Amino acid sequence: MHEPVISMRNIIKRYYIGKPNELQILNGISLDVEKGEFLAIVGQSGSGKSTLMNMIGALDRPTEGTYSLNGVDISTLDDTQLSRIRNQEIGFVFQTFNLISRTSALKNVEMPMMYAGMPRKERMKRAKELLEIVDMADRASHQPNELSGGQKQRVAIARAMANHPSILLADEPTGALDSRTGRMIMDLFHKLHKEEGTTIVLITHSPELAQECDRIVTISDGSIISDTGVRENAAD
Amino acid sequence: MQLIENLRLAFTSLAANKMRALLTMLGIIIGISSVIMITTIGTSIQKTLTNTFNQMGESNFFDVYLMQSFDSEEEINYDLEMSEEDMFTRDMIDRLTAEYGDHFTPRLSQSFGNATVHNTDGQEFTVSIEGELSQSKNSDHLRGRTISQRDNQEGMYTIYVSDLFVSQYCKDGSDPIGQTVELTLDSGISADFVIVGTFELPSFYDRMYPPGTSEMEKVTGVTVPLDTMLKLTHQEQEPMMYLTVGWNTDYDPEVLKQELQDFFDKEYEDKPNYDVMIENEQVYLEMINTIINVITIAISVIAAISLIVGGVGVMNIMLVSITERTKEIGIRKALGAQNGAIRMQFVVEAILICLIGGVIGIIMGITGGMLIGIIAKSLVTQFYPDYAELIAITVQPSIAAIMVAVLFSVLTGVFFGYYPANKAAKMDPIEALRYE
Repeated sequence: MHEPVISMRNIIKRYYIGKPNELQILNGISLDVEKGEFLAIVGQSGSGKSTLMNMIGALDRPTEGTYSLNGVDISTLDDTQLSRIRNQEIGFVFQTFNLISRTSALKNVEMPMMYAGMPRKERMKRAKELLEIVDMADRASHQPNELSGGQKQRVAIARAMANHPSILLADEPTGALDSRTGRMIMDLFHKLHKEEGTTIVLITHSPELAQECDRIVTISDGSIISDTGVRENAAD
Repeated sequence: MQLIENLRLAFTSLAANKMRALLTMLGIIIGISSVIMITTIGTSIQKTLTNTFNQMGESNFFDVYLMQSFDSEEEINYDLEMSEEDMFTRDMIDRLTAEYGDHFTPRLSQSFGNATVHNTDGQEFTVSIEGELSQSKNSDHLRGRTISQRDNQEGMYTIYVSDLFVSQYCKDGSDPIGQTVELTLDSGISADFVIVGTFELPSFYDRMYPPGTSEMEKVTGVTVPLDTMLKLTHQEQEPMMYLTVGWNTDYDPEVLKQELQDFFDKEYEDKPNYDVMIENEQVYLEMINTIINVITIAISVIAAISLIVGGVGVMNIMLVSITERTKEIGIRKALGAQNGAIRMQFVVEAILICLIGGVIGIIMGITGGMLIGIIAKSLVTQFYPDYAELIAITVQPSIAAIMVAVLFSVLTGVFFGYYPANKAAKMDPIEALRYE
């Protein structure tokens, strides 16, 4: 029997534990994501989808429940081990791109490989290939402030793909872009999904964007209220 | 992650904020440069003193004085003349050489008045004769050898002459070493002496003669073996109240001084009216050097306090920098940077600030110290031209201080960089990513 990439069981997240203002954000979420899926997590702001994203991205640990990523139980790992998981298994794509300023596109793409301890020459080669894939090779030496929003996001996607992550985790990747550029970014995700077989988890509040994905998981008030399961040819 | 990677990151970060980096370094620059400047001045004073002492002649000898006792219970008879039989005698000195020949070399000398010499062209000129028991090579030594104890023991007719003597005597420009010189004393006694070595006269020698004095009119001293000269003139060694005794530098001067004191105390055991006092300028020089060292270190420590102020400045700026770069830290953590990697990044940045500041400080400190040295030299030359030649002003930065300064800069960076770096390392990645 094969292992799903993401396997969450009754995930509960509470903040301010033991204080009068104790807050429960996630109320027992269970979710399985198979390799190669293109999944959308949809929810209004305040629904807990950001917290869920942090959980999936190994930025945070659940208060209760278990989360295994490729069979590794995240909830028991320490900070250093979580860093390694983020480095090797997760590729983050943020709404605001989050490129490091005053650092060239190439250096930004190299960064996850640098923290993985890859030799300089090797990672420069890989970073150039990645920029090729997202069609940004000619801007390798440009700094983020010299790039447009769409270009920044493409560099960010190249960076996210650097260490061949198990999951590409995209948080509102088109939220800060105009519709035409947003379209181009979504097309890039589809391309990576189809050609590289990347598992993509897209977090969005937009139902239209979610419709393009193979599977839509809707959360509200910290619980999953609907899950379409894998649909065929959703993008068409 | 490797150090080079961190250094590259730190350089980029500093280059992005040049003015701020420079202002941050200012405290370190001032601290290090003042320490280096003070130590440069300290070492230069020591070097100048040592060189001046050495220039004045070698200093590994004791001055031995015979004095009338002051701590005797009896009334001191000030009218009492020191009788010759109570003074240092040649027998006494020979006993010292016999007993402690390996430790001490007495430098006996006696003047034998003037003598006339005829040069290769037959011209006559005058020299003044100094008999020496043994001579050491001073910095003014030019060629050949000096008069040795062996010359005395074997009654050799050897002579050690000045460069002026050479130009007075060897009119044909031939090699003076090995040439025979006939000295005729005022008493009419004359003898042939073989030149064994030459020395250079000090440059102020010329000023002792009125301008226009011809070379042949000038009188220089020549050195010959004391015992040879005593025998030649049928004289006995005159008793002395003052003696110079060279010491073997392989031994501790303090121990030798005590040994010498004990020897003379024993010689004067039955003459309670006399005391023998032994002094040594090398010991004084060492004492002065120690005092200068202590003063230099004390002032340096005070100057080093400004380093702490500088270090706090670095810490302050690092804290500001980390707050400003919270988002970057969040991104790096999301990309998989471990806490240790973040901590290292900021510690290296702090070290780099301090190290660059330290290097600038060292350069400024040395330049400042050298400048003060040059000013001091020109002041001495201007106001005391007669002494300027005697004072060998040497400006030398302290190598030890420079190494300590580099080390201290790095330590300041580590010490004041660690707290902010650790704060950055411990940031919650979610909070940091959300920071605007």
